[in-house]
Amino acid sequence: MAEVKPDEISAILRKQLSGFESEVDIYDVGTVLQVGDGIARVYGLSKVMASELVEFPNNVFGMVLNLEEDSVGCVLFGESTLVKEGDTVKRTKRVASMPVGEEMLGRVITPLGLPIDGKGSINTSKFSPIERKALGVIQRQGVKEPIQTGITAIDAMIPIGRGQRELIIGDRQTGKTAVAIDTIINQKYTHSEEAKKLGIQPVYCIYVAIGQKSSTIAQVVAKLQEFGAMDYTTVISASASEPAPLQFIAPYSGATLGEFFRDNGKHALVIYDDLSKQAAAYRELSLLLRRPPGREAYPGDVFYLHSRLLERASKLSDELGGGSLTALPIIETQQGDVSAYIPTNVISITDGQIYLESNLFNAGVRPAINVGISVSRVGGNAQIKAMKKVAGSLRTDLAQYRELEAFSKFGSDLDKITQRTLARGARLVELLKQGQYSPVPVEKQVVSIFLGTNGLLDEIPVSEVKQFEKEIQDYIEVNYSGVYESIRKEKQLTYETINDIKKAAKELSASFRMATDSGKARA
Amino acid sequence: MSEYKVSRRYATSLLESAIEKNTLDSIASDIELVASTLDANRQLVHALSNPVIRPNVKLKVLEEIFKSRVNPDTMNFLKFLVEKNRQNLLESISKIFLELRDEHLGIVNVEVTSALAFNDEQTERLKNSLERFLSKKVRLNFKIDSEIIGGFVAKVGDTVFDASLIHQLDLLKVQFLKGGASLN
Repeated sequence: MAEVKPDEISAILRKQLSGFESEVDIYDVGTVLQVGDGIARVYGLSKVMASELVEFPNNVFGMVLNLEEDSVGCVLFGESTLVKEGDTVKRTKRVASMPVGEEMLGRVITPLGLPIDGKGSINTSKFSPIERKALGVIQRQGVKEPIQTGITAIDAMIPIGRGQRELIIGDRQTGKTAVAIDTIINQKYTHSEEAKKLGIQPVYCIYVAIGQKSSTIAQVVAKLQEFGAMDYTTVISASASEPAPLQFIAPYSGATLGEFFRDNGKHALVIYDDLSKQAAAYRELSLLLRRPPGREAYPGDVFYLHSRLLERASKLSDELGGGSLTALPIIETQQGDVSAYIPTNVISITDGQIYLESNLFNAGVRPAINVGISVSRVGGNAQIKAMKKVAGSLRTDLAQYRELEAFSKFGSDLDKITQRTLARGARLVELLKQGQYSPVPVEKQVVSIFLGTNGLLDEIPVSEVKQFEKEIQDYIEVNYSGVYESIRKEKQLTYETINDIKKAAKELSASFRMATDSGKARA
Repeated sequence: MSEYKVSRRYATSLLESAIEKNTLDSIASDIELVASTLDANRQLVHALSNPVIRPNVKLKVLEEIFKSRVNPDTMNFLKFLVEKNRQNLLESISKIFLELRDEHLGIVNVEVTSALAFNDEQTERLKNSLERFLSKKVRLNFKIDSEIIGGFVAKVGDTVFDASLIHQLDLLKVQFLKGGASLN
C-alpha cells in the first residue's frame, strides 16, 4: 500500500478549508410539540411551504403535510424514536425532491433517491421535485407507439401504447407482478441494435415496490439481473418495514424519475406495485394527521392521491420531443371484489385494465387474464397493422367460445358449428397460455394467432397445440425466414406472408401428425 | 387548537379598545403584571381553570388581587372574562396580548444566546445592527449557554441568526465529510 504523506493530507485539508467562510448562518426553525407514529407536530416554522422537506436532529428528515393556524404537521422519513419533544426543526427551503438522471439505471434506491444496493453513491447532477403537476392538454398527443409486453394475450387483445395508463388488477397470487416483470424483461429488445434500425426507441423501466416484503423485492431484482433487464431499469424500494410516509411518496418518486426520461424525449415505463398498499399507507398518515376519515376510512382526497399520480403518465407532443411515460399501476383486490373503493377509483382513472382471476389461474390458464372483461381504451391505435388484423377475429372467436363453453359437457350431442366453435376456442385458449419470463416477440405472436384464428390448428389435438406452435415457429424461422422479417419491417401481413405461413403449416402438420401418431403407436 | 383562536380574539379586542382609548401603555403594564403574577403563582392558574370553583368566587379572588393595582379598564376586562367563563384562558390571552402589542409598536423580541455575557458596548452594537437589518425596534433578551463555545445566536421569531462557534464547527465537519466523498 502506498504511504500517505502527512503534508499531502494537510494540503487536502487546507484546500477544503479555503472554501470555508465563517459568517452568520441564517435559517428558520421550529420546535417539536408532539411526536409519535411517524408524525411530528411542530410549533414555529412560520414561513414553511407545504410539502417542504424539514430537518430534524439525528439526520431524520420530514415532509410538511399540514399547515395549521398554530402548528405544522410533518411526516417523518426516519425513525420517530430519534425525535424528541422540544427538538429543533430546521427548514431546508426546498420541497421534497430526489436526484434524477441516467445514472439511476441499474440501481436500487429509496424513494428519496438514496442507493440501497451497496454499489456506492450515485453521482447525478439534477434534482427534481417529487410532486409535480401533470402536463396540460397542449403538451400532449395521442398514444401511437406500442409497448410490447411480450405476453400474447395482452399484445393482441389489450394492447398498451406508450404514454398509456393500464391497470393490472386481481386477487393475491394471480400473477400481477409476473405480468409487470415480463413486460420489463421484454423491453430488452428495444435497447438492441436491431430495434434501433427498425426505428423502435428504447424504453427505460422503473419498478416501484410499495409495502412489499424485502425478500420479494430482492427476488425481483435478482430475476431482472438474470435476464439482463437491470441495465435499463431502476427499482425504487419502499418495503413493508419502511415508515408509511416513504411508502406514500414512493410512486411519486417513480413518476419523477420517469418524467426525467420523458422530458428528454425518451420513453419510460413505470410500474407501481401496488397502489392498494400506497393507499393504505396514506390512510395511516391521514388518520394520524387527524384528517377526517371517509369511505373505508380512507381520507377524502384518496382519489386525488391516485389521479394526480397517474395523470403524470403522458405522451408528449412532437414539439416537446415526443417522449412518453407509460404507467402500469397494480391493484390487489380482495376475493375478486372490484367494487371496493380503491379499485373503482383506479379503474376510473386508468385507460383500461387487465383483470387477472384466480379461478383461471388455478385452471392452468396462465397468464390468468380474463380477456372478456379486460380492455384497453386507447392502445388499439398503437398496435401494428398485422396484429390488428389477426387480433380482431381472436377476440370474437374467444367471446363465442366463452358463450358456448357451458355446453361443452354435452360433447357429441352438439351440432357441427357449435362443435367447431368449441374446438377453435379451446385451441386459442391453449395458444394464449405462456410461461413466466418467456416474452414472445410481436412477429411470432402474429404468426401464432394467425394459425389459431384461421383454423390451421383445428386438426391438432388441444394438448399438442403448444408443442406444434413451438415447432412451426422454428420451422418458419429456418424455411421461411422472410415471414418474420416482413412482419417486423413492414408491420403488416402481406399476401405472400400469409401464403408462406399457410404453406408452412400444411407441411409441418402432415409430418407432425405422423410423428405424434407413431409416438402413440410406440407407446 | 381552538383555544388559541379564542385567546387571540379576546387579546385583539383588548388591544383595540386600549388603542382607541389611548391607554395602551398602562393596560399593557397591567397585563404584564397579570402575566407575571400568573407565572409566579401556578395555584392561581389552577384555581382559575378549576370548574368546581364558582365564577363569583374566582371573580372575588381576582378583584382582591388586582383591584388596587390595575386600571378600572383592565379590571373590567377580567370581570368580562369571568362572566364569559373564559378565565382559564387568562394566561394565554395575556401572552398573546403582549405579542400583539409588540407587533403594533413595531418591536421584535430577540433572544440572544451567548457563551459569555455581552458588555454594554457589544449590546449596543448588536442592537443597532439588528435594528438596521430588520428595520424594526429590537428588544434583546439575553441567555447564557456555554454549550455554544463562542459567538452568539440571535433568534428573531422563527428565524435564527447563528454566529456561534459550535455551528461553524458543525458546518466545517459537514464540509470535510462532503469533500471526503468526492475524493474517492
